[in-house]
Amino acid sequence: MTNLDWLKRAAKRSTTEPGLLGQVFATYQTLEHCSLEALADELGCDEQTLQMLALCRKPAGEAFAEQVKVICERFGLAPRPLVNMLRQVDIMGGMETHAANDSGRSVARLQLAARDRKRKDEPTP
Amino acid sequence: MSSPSRKQGWDLHERMMSQDPTVTLDVFLTFMGPLIRALERNPGCSYDEANACASDAVYAYLRHPERFDARRASLSTFLTQIARHKAQDSYRSSTARTRREQDPRSIFEVHPPAPNISLEERVDLKQRLDRLVQRIEGAGLPERDLAGIRVIFTEERCSMESMAEALGLLHLPQEEMRQAVRRHTDRLKKVLKRLCKEDPDDES
Repeated sequence: MTNLDWLKRAAKRSTTEPGLLGQVFATYQTLEHCSLEALADELGCDEQTLQMLALCRKPAGEAFAEQVKVICERFGLAPRPLVNMLRQVDIMGGMETHAANDSGRSVARLQLAARDRKRKDEPTP
Repeated sequence: MSSPSRKQGWDLHERMMSQDPTVTLDVFLTFMGPLIRALERNPGCSYDEANACASDAVYAYLRHPERFDARRASLSTFLTQIARHKAQDSYRSSTARTRREQDPRSIFEVHPPAPNISLEERVDLKQRLDRLVQRIEGAGLPERDLAGIRVIFTEERCSMESMAEALGLLHLPQEEMRQAVRRHTDRLKKVLKRLCKEDPDDES
């Protein structure tokens, strides 16, 4: 194997890069409270393969099935665990974002209400 | 290991523009090693910095592959340029920080005046130096110029390497760097001369 000293750091950074599997894995870890070892076990690979996977594009859109196939063939993985992970992150991650947005909207509504009340309370000139 | 060929870069770029999910990994696998080695050749660039800057360059390309124009340069050259700029920026900010922490007045300790001068002369010398430092600091010179002036101040024989390092010119080819260092050194010496002349007590 060639010298891949950089791989660990590049994979770590991928957790904040939209569109890469690294971000999917990071979200999954947060949702499932699992370690990197557990994540690798679930996908059926070792940690170095997990780091390489993290640098791949996240399968999406119409080419989803084909992209999963390409990734799994390259790393000798069974597609099901990866697909399950992607689906779970899409659903749960999406719900979390919605919840965050909703709470953001609630905060904004509260702030608007407070501002309105303040305006109403202000003495009219 | 040699740097990736133009053809390799072109093939990867074509894959980048398609929906290939593993191409991003292949860009890393193909370019990280050569980029790190190219950056490490610059004196003052550690492995860690080279690694971070190479990674910055690859991520910048992955985010906006459309910014690469294959007619203008190979992908290898394109990424090396980004990585070098990142390294240069990182070097400049770390140099600026280090230089900020150093006071040019330390020249008095680095090059103490001749031991046979009187205490009055010694005090006068120190005061003139202090005034000069104040004028340099108040001249609104860019940080790069201040770094160059510090090298002129603190090194008895201002070497090309330390001047290039201070001015952030280490990324240039040797001959180009030599010319740029000479040009900047002459310019900074003129600036210093002008600032020295502004001292009403300086008769030299």
